[in-house]
Amino acid sequence: MRETRHQFREDLVGLEQQVLGGLDLVISQLDRALESIAYQDVELASMVVVDDDRIDGRYLEVHQGILSMLARQAPVASDLRIVAALLHVIRCIERMGDQCVNIAKLVPLSGYESPKDKDILDAIEKMGLQARSQVLQAKEALASRNVRMAQDLVSQDASINRLNREIFKRAVEIGDDVDMREWGMFMILVARCLERVGDNTVDIAEQVVFVVTGLFREMDDTTPASSPRIVPEPGL
Amino acid sequence: MSVTTQTPPPPSRLTGGARQRRRKNVNRLMMGVSTLAALIALAVLALVLVDIVIKAAPALNLDFFTKNPVPFGQTGGGIADSIVGSAILIGLASAMAIPIGILVAIFTNEFAPPRLSSPIRFALDILNGVPTIVTGIFIYGLLVIGHTQSGWAGAIALAIVELPIVARSAQEVLALVPRSLKEAGLALGLRRWRIVLRIVLPTAAGGLVTGAVLGVARVAGETAPLLLTSSIFSNLGITTNPGVALPNIPVTIFTLSESPSPQDHAQAWAAALVLVAFVLIVSLVARTFNERSRRKIAD
Amino acid sequence: MDLDQTEQVDVSTAPESPPEPETMEREKLEPARGHAISIKDLNAYYGERHAIKGISLTFEPNQVTAIIGPSGCGKSTLVRCINRMHEEIPKAHAEGTILLDEEDLYGSRVDVTAVRRQIGMVFQKANPFPTMSIFDNVASGLKLAGIRGDSMRERVHRSLRAVGLWSEVSDRLNSPGIGLSGGQQQRLCIARTIAVEPEVILMDEPCSALDPIATLKVEELIDELKRRYTIVIVTHNMQQAARVADSTVFMLDGEVVEHAPTNDIFTNPSDERTERYVTGKFG
Repeated sequence: MRETRHQFREDLVGLEQQVLGGLDLVISQLDRALESIAYQDVELASMVVVDDDRIDGRYLEVHQGILSMLARQAPVASDLRIVAALLHVIRCIERMGDQCVNIAKLVPLSGYESPKDKDILDAIEKMGLQARSQVLQAKEALASRNVRMAQDLVSQDASINRLNREIFKRAVEIGDDVDMREWGMFMILVARCLERVGDNTVDIAEQVVFVVTGLFREMDDTTPASSPRIVPEPGL
Repeated sequence: MSVTTQTPPPPSRLTGGARQRRRKNVNRLMMGVSTLAALIALAVLALVLVDIVIKAAPALNLDFFTKNPVPFGQTGGGIADSIVGSAILIGLASAMAIPIGILVAIFTNEFAPPRLSSPIRFALDILNGVPTIVTGIFIYGLLVIGHTQSGWAGAIALAIVELPIVARSAQEVLALVPRSLKEAGLALGLRRWRIVLRIVLPTAAGGLVTGAVLGVARVAGETAPLLLTSSIFSNLGITTNPGVALPNIPVTIFTLSESPSPQDHAQAWAAALVLVAFVLIVSLVARTFNERSRRKIAD
Repeated sequence: MDLDQTEQVDVSTAPESPPEPETMEREKLEPARGHAISIKDLNAYYGERHAIKGISLTFEPNQVTAIIGPSGCGKSTLVRCINRMHEEIPKAHAEGTILLDEEDLYGSRVDVTAVRRQIGMVFQKANPFPTMSIFDNVASGLKLAGIRGDSMRERVHRSLRAVGLWSEVSDRLNSPGIGLSGGQQQRLCIARTIAVEPEVILMDEPCSALDPIATLKVEELIDELKRRYTIVIVTHNMQQAARVADSTVFMLDGEVVEHAPTNDIFTNPSDERTERYVTGKFG
C-alpha cells in the first residue's frame, strides 16, 4: 500500500533533488571560472557569465516550489525543517553562482599578457580546489543528512580563510611594477570571491545540522568538532 | 435513407432502449396498483362513515344530546346521561393512567438500569395485549363481586387498559430526546431529576400529550370492561357519583341495539356516530401535537 | 479578516437565521488565576476494554492544552474522565487520581455534580436546549442551581458579551436558542458553560461541525478565555491544535506518547511516533 501523502513526499524529494542539482551547477561554474582565470580564457569566462542564468532559473523554480508546498501542504516537524533549509540553501547556491560570475568577470580585466606571480597563482589554485571540495562536501552532507560531515566543513573553511590572508599578504608585497600590482589586486578580488563561496558552504552546513537536530547554531571556528545533540526532555 | 421508413434513433446512454422502457412500465404498474390499494382503503373508511351517518340520521336532533332516555315503549329522549357518564369514566381512568404511565416511562428511560427497564417494557407490552374482557373479569372479581357495580370499578378497569398505551408511547417519545441534551445538562452539573423535569420533559412534551390523547381515544370505545363493571344502572338520569354504575356510551349502544324498537336502533347508530366522531377529533388533535413536538426534537 | 456571507448556505439549522456577522465584538474577560489539573496514574475501562492505560499528565493553569491522536486513541475518553462523564456510560468506569489544584476529583466523598460545576464541557455538536430561549439557555446552569434574580441576569449578559454574541442577540434574548446559526449555537453553548464560572473548560472537538469562519471565531474566543480559565481541547484537526494550543499532548492507544510545547511538537518532536503522526506518515 502506498504511503500516505505520497504525492507530497514525491514533491519534497523532487525539490531536494533540484537543490542538489543546483550545487552541481555551482561546481561546474566554479571549475570553468577558475580555469578561465588560470588560462586567461576570455571566451570561457563569458560563458560562465551567461550560464549564471541557469542558476538563477533554478533558484526561481525552487522558490516557487517551496511557496506552493507551504501554501498547499502545511508541512510540519522534519518536513518543515527541510523545506525551510532548502529555501536557505538555494539562496546560498544563487550567491555562489554570483561569486563565480564575479570571478569570471575579472578575467579580461587582468589583461592578456599580464605579469603573474607563481606563488599567488598556486595559492589561488589551491583555494579553488578547496572551495570545490567544500561545495561537494556540503552537497554530500545535505543529501545524506550527515551532521559530522557538515560540522567538518567549519575546519575545512579555516584553510580557505588562511589562504585568503596569504594571498593578500603576498599581493601587498608584490613589488613596484604597476601592471604587477594591478594584477595582484585582481587576484585579491578573486580570492575574496572564493572565500565567500567557502562561507556559503558553511551556511549550508548549518542548515544540515538544523534539519537533523532541529537546532540552529552559528558554526564558526570556535564550535567544537562534535557538539552533542541536545534533545528537549519529553513531558515538558 | 428512404423517406417513407423511419428507423428510431439509436439508443444513447441517456435515452436507453427496450430495457429502459420495460423498467418504466413496471414502475408505472406498481404505482398504479399501490394507488388503487390506497383508494380502496379510503373507500372502506368512507363507506363505514357514510353508513353510520345514514343510519344515525333519523335519531340526530338536539334532544338526543340533551335529554335522558325515556322509559321503555316511549319514543324520543336521548343519551345525555351516557355522554356524561362516559366523560366521567374516561376522565377518572385517564387521571389514573396518564400520570402513572408517564412516570413509569420516566423511570425506565431515565433512572432504571437496563436490566430493569427491559423486563418492565416487556411487561407493559403483555399488559397491552391482554384482552379487555379479561381485564373486565379481573376487576369484576376484585371489586364487583360481593359489592355492586360502580363507576370506580369501571374507571379502574379502563385505566388498566389505558396505562400500557400511554406508558409505551411515552417511552418511545422519551427515547427520542437526544442524548446530547441530557449530556449537556449533566456537564453543567445538574442533578438527574432536574434534567428530567426541566429539559427532557419539556422537549418530549408534545409527544407525551399525543400518547396520552391516543390512550384516551382507545378507552373511549372499550366495551367489555364496562359490561362487567358498569352496565346495570337505575334510570335515574344523569348521575355523577362514581360510587354507582354510571351509564356510558358503549354499553348504551349494546342495549339499544338489542331492543326491538327501530327508533332505539337509530339511536344506537347515532351513539356510535358520537363515538366515531370523538375518536376522529381526538386523533386530529394528537396529530397536531405530534407535528409540533417532532419539529422541536428534530432540530 | 475578510468574512463573506457563507453562513447563508447552512440549511441544517433554522433557514431564516441571519448570516454570521462580519465582526465579533467581544468584551475583554477579566483575567483570573487559573487552576491546574494533575492526573496521576489514570486507568479507564469500557467493560473489559482498557481504554486509558495508566496516564499521568498535568495541565498548566491559564493555558490551552490540545490533545491530538488518531481515532480510538482515547483522547475523548480522557477528557470525559476529568469531568467524570465517563462513568455515565453503562459498564464504564475509571480509577486513579485527578487533582484539581489540591483536591482529588475521584475522592471517596466527592459529589459528582459538584465536580461538573467546576469543570465545564463544550461538545462537538452544539446542543442548546430546544425548549428554552437564548437567555434561558445561558441561565440554565444558574437557575437550576439556585442562582436567580439580578445576579443571574448580570451573569447571563456578561457571558453573552464574553463570547461575542451580545451584539448579535441582545434584541432577541427570548427567541428560541435553536434559531441561531451553527457557529452562534456553539458560542451559545460556550456562554452557557462559562456562566456557571467553572475553573476548567473541556472542549471535545468543538469546531468539527462548524464552517471555517465560525471555527476561527471560536478559536479567537478560546484564546481570550484562557486569560481566565484553564482549557483542554480535544481535536482531530492538527492545524487547529497548532493555532490554538500553548502545549500539546499526543496520544496513542490509551497512552501519552509526548507532551510538549506546541511549537516543539510541530517543528521538532522528540518521539518518532509523534513525528510520523504530525507529518502524516501514518497509514
